[in-house]
Amino acid sequence: MRTSRALGLVMIAPAAVMIFLFFLMPVVLTAIFAMTNMSTATGISGGAWQVTQTAVNRLKAEMPELAGGIAEPRFVIDEEGLAALEALKLKAGFGTELRTSHMGEVFPSRREAERMIKALKDRPSTREVKQISDLFNRSVLNTRFETRDQLMASLKKLGFTLTPAEQETVAATTYTGWVWTTENFRIIRNSPDMAQIFLNTAFYVSVTLLLFNVSYALFLAITTHYMPASTASVFRAIWLLPRITPVVIYVLMWKWLTWDSGFISMFMGQFGYPPKNYLLDSANNAWFFVILINGFIGASMGMLVFSSAIKAIPQTQFHASEVDGASRWQQVRHIILPQLRWPILFVTCYQTLSLLASFNEILLSTRGGPGRATEVWSLAAYHTALNNYTGNLEYGLGAAMALVLVVVGIVLSLIYLRIFRYDTLISKPLIED
Amino acid sequence: MRILLDKFSKSFGSTKIIEDMDLEVGSGEMLALLGPSGCGKSTTLFAVCGIHRPTAGRILFGDRDVTHLPSQERNVGVVFQSYALYPHMTVEENIGFPLMVKRIASADIKKQVADIAALVHIGDLLGRRPAQLSGGQQQRVALARALIRRPDVLLLDEPLANLDAKLRLEMRSEIRRLQKETGITAILVTHDQVEAMSMCDRIAIMKSGEIVQIATPSEMYKDPRTSFVASFLGNPPISFLKGKVQQGAFVLGENGLRLPLAAVSGIPDGTPLSLGVRPEHFGTTAGIPVEGKVVFAETQGRENLYDVVLPDGSVLRSIQPVRDDVKPGDSVRWHLDSASTFVFAEDGRRL
Repeated sequence: MRTSRALGLVMIAPAAVMIFLFFLMPVVLTAIFAMTNMSTATGISGGAWQVTQTAVNRLKAEMPELAGGIAEPRFVIDEEGLAALEALKLKAGFGTELRTSHMGEVFPSRREAERMIKALKDRPSTREVKQISDLFNRSVLNTRFETRDQLMASLKKLGFTLTPAEQETVAATTYTGWVWTTENFRIIRNSPDMAQIFLNTAFYVSVTLLLFNVSYALFLAITTHYMPASTASVFRAIWLLPRITPVVIYVLMWKWLTWDSGFISMFMGQFGYPPKNYLLDSANNAWFFVILINGFIGASMGMLVFSSAIKAIPQTQFHASEVDGASRWQQVRHIILPQLRWPILFVTCYQTLSLLASFNEILLSTRGGPGRATEVWSLAAYHTALNNYTGNLEYGLGAAMALVLVVVGIVLSLIYLRIFRYDTLISKPLIED
Repeated sequence: MRILLDKFSKSFGSTKIIEDMDLEVGSGEMLALLGPSGCGKSTTLFAVCGIHRPTAGRILFGDRDVTHLPSQERNVGVVFQSYALYPHMTVEENIGFPLMVKRIASADIKKQVADIAALVHIGDLLGRRPAQLSGGQQQRVALARALIRRPDVLLLDEPLANLDAKLRLEMRSEIRRLQKETGITAILVTHDQVEAMSMCDRIAIMKSGEIVQIATPSEMYKDPRTSFVASFLGNPPISFLKGKVQQGAFVLGENGLRLPLAAVSGIPDGTPLSLGVRPEHFGTTAGIPVEGKVVFAETQGRENLYDVVLPDGSVLRSIQPVRDDVKPGDSVRWHLDSASTFVFAEDGRRL
């Protein structure tokens, strides 16, 4: 017993490792990334503290005084500057006087600092005044600090005394690396673009699913069931073609069909319509073709599942229902459909998830266009995180979008199980004699 | 309602299953189609209910020609071997299905289902699904479903094949009772001669697509037309002895056992024959004595069954009231009731 259990664990170990590596880990990593603001700009390793003009602008809202101060150059008479002055080999009196009478003084602007330098006893020339003042310029603007403490030390040296809370704000606004945040979800919830993409997705998934993946597949399965076997297999083979054609070639054929020099344009040209790109000329047309492209692929899977499920119904049930007086339609309605509940659930569930997650057909055909008319959630996540025009790839936001997709998928599956009463489907029969 | 098959033929592709069969089932009669598997009995049944279309010939219910009617319009009730209950429906829905598809008001259906369920004694199971029923209960549901729309004809395809022995006995009389009570014309397809004999008014015994003999069970038992019929009826089965005619008598092997039989008179000497002896006609109190050696004995409670090897090697079966004095290996000299034996020509014809 013990050895067989151990053996079982050993046997299942490869699968468990695979599931962990290729299923659980990506989900966990997605969840982790979703809680960050990683992007091309932040990089994925750590960052630095840099007082850029953008950071100052951000700071202006909360600490206008400080922001104004930081933005201005500042001049501080300190050891560092004196050392540099000595290295310049100017008159030694400059350094000595600055050290003795001005050490530690802070000047909020270049003008004030230079006025002080000009007034030194050794009378520096205008050129020298410029040279010297440069050495004591301690502005933090556009300076990169490797640690937070360096930034704070500099600010302190410049005469900004900050409370810990203020320090926190300054550090946060000047940090260039990624940070932990729930901002992504707020963006997703509040952005009207996201709402539009969500509606697009709901429309695309539900229409494709209802019209093609389930209804049309059922229609194909039932009609082929009542056909002679040879005719039926020809029909099934035809409807399998979209599924077995490589997707790039399949979509390319649709593009040929809809291009402005393609079949539809040529055909419509016969009736005097000018040629146009039917795939991308309007949002409605784009949706029409996107749904057809996906629907024709999806229908074949449902057709196969439903066909085999119908085949699994004992032939005598069809005989019996005929003898009982049921017409074809009544047979479909009362004998076939109720016994397809599980396959319908399976196809609905599976195809919902696959429609939610797959965007390759849309990417290859409309790229989400025209404009962003056919942009669906997964495609938007792809564009956000991995491929967009601005070049700033927002991994964090993209991951958050993907996570939303995972959650939506799980919730939908649970709802389906509820609607189709999964518990009764798997309930054990009570056989007695 | 009378059922008439007139020159009925059925072939699947180039395989001819049945050719020019004539069969009449009288109104209110229960007829068994009996035969080994592959003899065409189920094909005939399926043609009567309309699942198969005849290749040629006519099928009449009463005076109505139903040959080209789809099964939906024939008003037949069928009980299939597997019962073919609809697994997703309750017992009530299963039984009511033939009425439901006729769009009868559901209150009416409920009432009729209750009536018929009471008739087949499953009134308390209406809420269950087929998977929650035992074989016998499923059988009753199938019967109720077949009977509910008052069919002109009831067709039973091996209805007892999937039941255990005790239940089979019970359902045998149950089906017969229902058939008598409803007065319906019925055809029973079976390969079990006991079923056919115990349930039916007449038996049509079939072999390779042809009806060999139609008769009442007792007629057929007493007067089989061929050796096939004789071998098919009776349990334990009849045994055959191979021999020749010699001066008006049946002689077993080379100068072996000699049986003077009336049936043999007038047949030329040397004609090969086979003699059918039912087990109850060997081991009787009177008749021609036959010597042999018991090789097998089996008690069936009330009776004992013996296999006796004759000197030439052929075997006779004997069934007798229980006795303890004979064991395998014993030599016996038992009587053979030669008047009750059947003589068959080499091609199986009864002489």
